[in-house]
Amino acid sequence: MKDSVITAQRKRTELITLLVCFVIANVVNLCAIIAYGTRFVELVTQLGYVVIFSVALYICWTVLRLIYYGIRSVVRK
Amino acid sequence: MDRRDFLKNLGAAGGTLLLASPWLSAFADVEHTRHSKARIGVVGPGSRGRFLMSFLKNNPKAEVVALCDIYRPSIDEALKMYPQARVYTDYRQLLEDKEVDAVLIATPLDVHFPVAMAAFEAGKHVFCEKTLGITIDECYKMYHKHLDTGRVFFSGQQRLFDPRYIKVMELVHAGTFGDIEGIRAYWFRNGDWRRPVPSPELERLINWRLYKEHSKGLMTELACHQIQVGSWALRQIPNRVMGHGAITYWKDGREVDDNVSCIYVFDNGVKLTYESIISNKFYGLEEQILGHLGTVEPEKGKYYFETIEPAPGFLQMVNDIEHKLFDAIPFAGTSWAPETANENHGEFILGKRPQGDGTSQMLDAFVEAVITGKQPPRIAEEGYYASALCLLGYDAIEQERILTFPDEYKLNYLNHHNPTTA
Ligand SMILES: NC(=O)c1ccc[n+]([C@@H]2O[C@H](COP(=O)([O-])OP(=O)(O)OC[C@H]3O[C@@H](n4cnc5c(N)ncnc54)[C@H](O)[C@@H]3O)[C@@H](O)[C@H]2O)c1
Repeated sequence: MKDSVITAQRKRTELITLLVCFVIANVVNLCAIIAYGTRFVELVTQLGYVVIFSVALYICWTVLRLIYYGIRSVVRK
Repeated sequence: MDRRDFLKNLGAAGGTLLLASPWLSAFADVEHTRHSKARIGVVGPGSRGRFLMSFLKNNPKAEVVALCDIYRPSIDEALKMYPQARVYTDYRQLLEDKEVDAVLIATPLDVHFPVAMAAFEAGKHVFCEKTLGITIDECYKMYHKHLDTGRVFFSGQQRLFDPRYIKVMELVHAGTFGDIEGIRAYWFRNGDWRRPVPSPELERLINWRLYKEHSKGLMTELACHQIQVGSWALRQIPNRVMGHGAITYWKDGREVDDNVSCIYVFDNGVKLTYESIISNKFYGLEEQILGHLGTVEPEKGKYYFETIEPAPGFLQMVNDIEHKLFDAIPFAGTSWAPETANENHGEFILGKRPQGDGTSQMLDAFVEAVITGKQPPRIAEEGYYASALCLLGYDAIEQERILTFPDEYKLNYLNHHNPTTA
């Protein structure tokens, strides 16, 4: 089996992607608080759900990217 | 909550508690009475009598010095608890006993009146199990005998001393649950209410609850406790009652109904509905106090507010998206949704699951009152009305008529005024 190398560039990209997902999840939480008229402390108290939502976003985004790169490599061959 | 905790809590919030439950002032002299003893004679140490004795046994200020029963096995069981007690087979002999300060009456209902009246005459303080008498007239005479003799008079309404009911009433009277708009009380059991009888001639002595000459059935045995909760909460006596009763399931030769339902109407139109069936126990017992801001279920020891804290916005949003994606498309508006009750788990009134039912505190209060000779305020009146109201309900059921509380049996209490004594 071949050794696989995760480059520093890749790590940085993934961390930034995760951070973007986390920011989006917080924005969604904020929108929900405004839309449903609930309390702003939920920005803190609901962080657990926000983290779960960020990870879910990240996974979805990763799946989309894998599909994209998969199709691209098939087309290039 | 043990006696010490109870008294400690009472001290901490004495002012407001005493407003809702003034009879708790019975505990005002607990320190001064520390070295005194109340000498008690028990008439009818059957199942309830011995249960009460088990609490007296734990109170160093109480001693059961005499027992009276016409059924030897009851005496033998009671003597196991108090082997030194003197034994009588006629209550009149017990009442002549100078060593007896107070009597505790736990006989079948029809025997309460003669024993209590003779006890007051003999200068004894009286604790009489509910229901006080078998007719409203008997209850009224007992109450007035207590006034005339100045002796202490308690009835077996233990909820009046149950910390969770006391707390509930404090909250209800403070308006925490808004205007009280209704009370739904019920007691459901699934059983024939019979006790095993060793020989047929003892049937009526042992299963006295099933026969009209000794008992008024579910109304005097169960409803008596629960109707009182309604008048305590509303600080009013309901003036009208209608009802119906029947023997629908236990057709075994009993005379009292096994299925009763009553509506008590307060002057402001608020109603207390009462229901008792003894062939289905799914709902158990409860007195639901329904305010426009919240509901209390004291038996469960819980209260529920009408508006509950909404779920976090994020979860509501997820929930809504989920419903939009997966629910069937409705063909009509939301008004078609069935109005089933909301899930609301409520809060415990005392912060935890209820323990005890006030019997121990009630007996402690009686012992204190016997020692000091002071009648705590309102306790006799609450006992009187608990009994009178359940008997009025019974009469309404029997006569199949709407009955009004008779003026001649009113006390000068709460919304009631008796023109002849005012
Ligand atoms: N407060 C409550 O929650 C509560 C609960 C249960 C019973 N009670 C009341 O307690 C009373 C007794 O109920 P119980 O279940 O113990 O009944 P029980 O039948 O077990 O006991 C009654 C006792 O009284 C005796 N008795 C009958 N006639 C007598 C007489 N003339 N003189 C002396 N003794 C006599 C009987 O032999 C028996 O031992 C009833 O009034 C009942 O309503 C109250």
